[in-house]
Amino acid sequence: MRKFCALVAALGATLALPACAPSTSGGGGKVHLTVETWRPEDTAGYQKIFDAYEKKHPKVVVDYKPIKSTDYLTVLPNELKKATGGPDVVQLKPYGPLQSYIKAGNLVPLDGQVNVSGWQDKVLQAAKGKDDGKLYGVPYALQTLGILYNKKIFADQGIQPPKTWADFTAACDKLKKAGITPMATSGLQPWVLAIDHQIFGATREGGNDFEQAVLTGKKDFTDPDYTASLQTVADLKQYFPNQVTAVDYPDAQTLFTSGKAAMYPGGSYEIGPFTKTTPDLQIGWFDAPPAPGAKVNQPLTSGYVDGSFGVNAHSEHKSEALELVKWMATPEFGQLYASTLKQISTVPGTTPGDPLLTQAYQGYQQHGATYIMVVDFGYGNPLGRDQEGLALQKMLGGTSAADAGKLVQKGISAWFKPSGG
Amino acid sequence: MTSSTLTVGERSTVAARPRAPRRRIRVGGAASVILLWVYALAALAPLIIMAFNSLRTEQDLANQPLGLPLHPDFGNYSRAWSEGNFSTYFVNSVVITVFSVVLGTGVSVLAAYPLGRYRFRGRGALSSYFLAGLMLPIRLGAVPVFYLVNSLTQSLPGVDTRFWLICVYAGSGVPFSVFVLTAFFRQLPMELEEAARIDGAGELRIFARIMVPMVRPALTTVALFQFIPLWNDFFFPLVLLRDDQWTLPTGLTRFFGEFESAHATLSAGLVITTIPLVVLFLVATKQIVAGLTAGMSK
Amino acid sequence: MVQAQRRLRRPVGAGGGRPRRRVLLTFLLPALALYTVFIIYPLVSAAEYSLYSWSGNRQDGFAGLSNFHQLFTKYPLSEQVWRALGHNCLFFIGTMLIQTTLGLAFAVLLHKSRRGKRFLQTAYTLPHLVSPIVVGYLWSIMLNPQFGAINAALRDVGLGALAQPWRGDPHLALPVAIVVNAWQWVGFPMLLFGAALAGIPDEYEQAARVDGASSWQVFRRVTLPLLTPVLGIVTVLTFIGTFNVLDLIYALQGSQGNPGFATDTLGLLFYRTAFQNPDPNAIGQSCALAVCMFILIFGVSLAANKVFRRMEERLK
Repeated sequence: MRKFCALVAALGATLALPACAPSTSGGGGKVHLTVETWRPEDTAGYQKIFDAYEKKHPKVVVDYKPIKSTDYLTVLPNELKKATGGPDVVQLKPYGPLQSYIKAGNLVPLDGQVNVSGWQDKVLQAAKGKDDGKLYGVPYALQTLGILYNKKIFADQGIQPPKTWADFTAACDKLKKAGITPMATSGLQPWVLAIDHQIFGATREGGNDFEQAVLTGKKDFTDPDYTASLQTVADLKQYFPNQVTAVDYPDAQTLFTSGKAAMYPGGSYEIGPFTKTTPDLQIGWFDAPPAPGAKVNQPLTSGYVDGSFGVNAHSEHKSEALELVKWMATPEFGQLYASTLKQISTVPGTTPGDPLLTQAYQGYQQHGATYIMVVDFGYGNPLGRDQEGLALQKMLGGTSAADAGKLVQKGISAWFKPSGG
Repeated sequence: MTSSTLTVGERSTVAARPRAPRRRIRVGGAASVILLWVYALAALAPLIIMAFNSLRTEQDLANQPLGLPLHPDFGNYSRAWSEGNFSTYFVNSVVITVFSVVLGTGVSVLAAYPLGRYRFRGRGALSSYFLAGLMLPIRLGAVPVFYLVNSLTQSLPGVDTRFWLICVYAGSGVPFSVFVLTAFFRQLPMELEEAARIDGAGELRIFARIMVPMVRPALTTVALFQFIPLWNDFFFPLVLLRDDQWTLPTGLTRFFGEFESAHATLSAGLVITTIPLVVLFLVATKQIVAGLTAGMSK
Repeated sequence: MVQAQRRLRRPVGAGGGRPRRRVLLTFLLPALALYTVFIIYPLVSAAEYSLYSWSGNRQDGFAGLSNFHQLFTKYPLSEQVWRALGHNCLFFIGTMLIQTTLGLAFAVLLHKSRRGKRFLQTAYTLPHLVSPIVVGYLWSIMLNPQFGAINAALRDVGLGALAQPWRGDPHLALPVAIVVNAWQWVGFPMLLFGAALAGIPDEYEQAARVDGASSWQVFRRVTLPLLTPVLGIVTVLTFIGTFNVLDLIYALQGSQGNPGFATDTLGLLFYRTAFQNPDPNAIGQSCALAVCMFILIFGVSLAANKVFRRMEERLK
């Protein structure tokens, strides 16, 4: 019995000891700020960025804490509920998923604290509370959507980036005949299909006019232009990998980076990782040409804000955390972020160093469109993106476009009320 | 068990009778032997493929999904161990599982002793209370568990969150352990303990010196049966712990996101998670089989 | 059982035949506290939470049964609940058909065989030790349409036409998950049946054979009825197992039960509703779902137990 008691005591002691030093305040009187993100792959880049900050703020050490993206939405709410020991600065998903944290009072309002004069309203909207209109985060990156292509394959096959839909399908046919998968994409992940739809269908549904019509209640997702835009994607099935509904997201990436597929409809966020894992891959970028029957007769570059950085209301170092977030709204951070991580920074006056990103960013500035399923319809259950992807999955399995449109409308109308009419 | 009600008398009379014809059995027997061995292959093949994949290079695996590790390469393991953080996950898994099993078994053997050996008011009710836990899907309480652990961490900031997970795990092992150990204590003869009592030994002393050693085989079974599901759990660490406190199965969910299509490296991670249990199983097959069928002897 | 109770005499000494309360508490309290605080209390709290409405992690006020109402009327939950329940039922039926039948067959065949019995038992039970998360990821690698071992093996033996998008076809995905689950768990019913078979004296079978019964008749008339109690236990455990299934599908098909919710189950839906729900009332909805699942699983298990007890008594 005495032995047993000793064992229990030892057990208690070993567990309690390492916990005596809370992770957020280290030695030397320095303040440790924990920054939690969903980007494990960017660890080295962020450390470089924060080194620059630490040099100017010698009393602060920034601890970068990445969590796998698919678990982040599970982990973050729990982290924000912690009264102590939680993170100080957190990466926040844009638009919808942000709202429940705001409602629960997990985040510090930043109005008047950070300088965002000169920022586009459209960009700031990604980090605002839908009910109170206050700003809860500093947006960091803009993502654009388009088609990545393998320059070598295009050159070998004598294909130019297509300007018309006919050129595009002709190129696809040529690739297919040559035994190359024309486009790599994942039909297993609904959100990838939703991105495909935004890339190929935006011109058909009508871009920003359609967005306004749905927001004001003049149209909904049973509209023939919208269902025709869904059909545009479903008709591309022949150019997708075999058994596309079983292709997972990483498989699609591998198909493209390994040179088995010539094109990859996706986001600007793919460029950095692709060039990192496959340095000899020559990537090009073009916008999808207007689809048959398009309402907009020029290509559209769709975009959305990737997310923002906010301050945890339970942070034990709130003023230092605010200071860091303030810095994240400066051109210094923006430029550093853009060039280190190969992204398009949201800070006005910064330029992406990468030529492809510059091309994509220019496209967005000249003929941009909103990725509406994330920007406008990402506020309730189900998320617009997921519902649209689900509808497209069903279409790839044989459901009609009209029924798919009804399914999208059913999901969105479960929580969305149009502003007008 | 029902079989214990069979009488001995029948046996001797039946045994004298002649056996059934042999031939048909042999034909059927050959078929059944083949079936058994074919399925054994099906049962083991995925695990063997997993082990093979973990020793091959990514390139090799992509070109030839099914193949032998002709030039075994341990690079996948070192990649998983360091880049994939498996060193951290492994230590967490061992610490959390071992302490949970020790604590769960410890409190259960204490409780099972009076439940199996004494008569006192409320004994039946208490037994049923513990027994009910055998059928409770405890994950359904995940949200309140999170709040409980959160408020405990708040009021006792010096205690590592992993300790509270250990408490949850230990609690989850109590129903089965108490159930099995109570049955064991009940079957022990009274004489030993009476002799000790006459010698003037106290209750705790009798328990620790005489009773616990007598139920040692059951303790092994009970400990093993807590160990397996706890080692394999990914859910509670995911919900309760920070990522640097995660266990192997929970770490896998992150690992699969980071290394996405690197199937060989992923396989190495799967092997690291699995090996300790397989070793345990090969060492203690008997106890595991006994434990699996223990639920039947009500 | 009877004998055991008779043997349970009151110990002499210690507080005049009864254990002293303090001693009793010392023994019982640790387990009681741990079990009550960390297992029972959270489950009771979940029931309480389900009666309130929530904004994120803030409790707003008493809501009566409104969370339950939302569960069954608010799209997409209303659709997902029934779909997931249907999938769980299919999962249970499929598992009973495949896993229990195979488990019984293997137990019977192994019972008779001599050579390699220990090895075969070990081989069959090995997969069930592996974490369901590992099993899910392992099979997701093997079932990969481009880079997976299954389709590669089919192509190698000239059956390339049978290569399928196993995880991506909405009609195949659930059966595939059921088969993978059965692959993992088949050793469990096998061991239970095996233990029961070992308890049946050979003489029963021999007696029937002398009366001219075929192998099948012996099995059907003699062995199977004697296995009814075990079949009851296996059924109840399979029910509990399949209605709680989460880890395997999470690893195999993600938290949304891809493709297009074709493999969604109640366990997965609970996880999503609790931890990945954009609705501010996530806690209320998820706890309401937890209560429903609890009633379903616990209620059916108790009822099934009773039914099998009655069958058992009739057989005696």
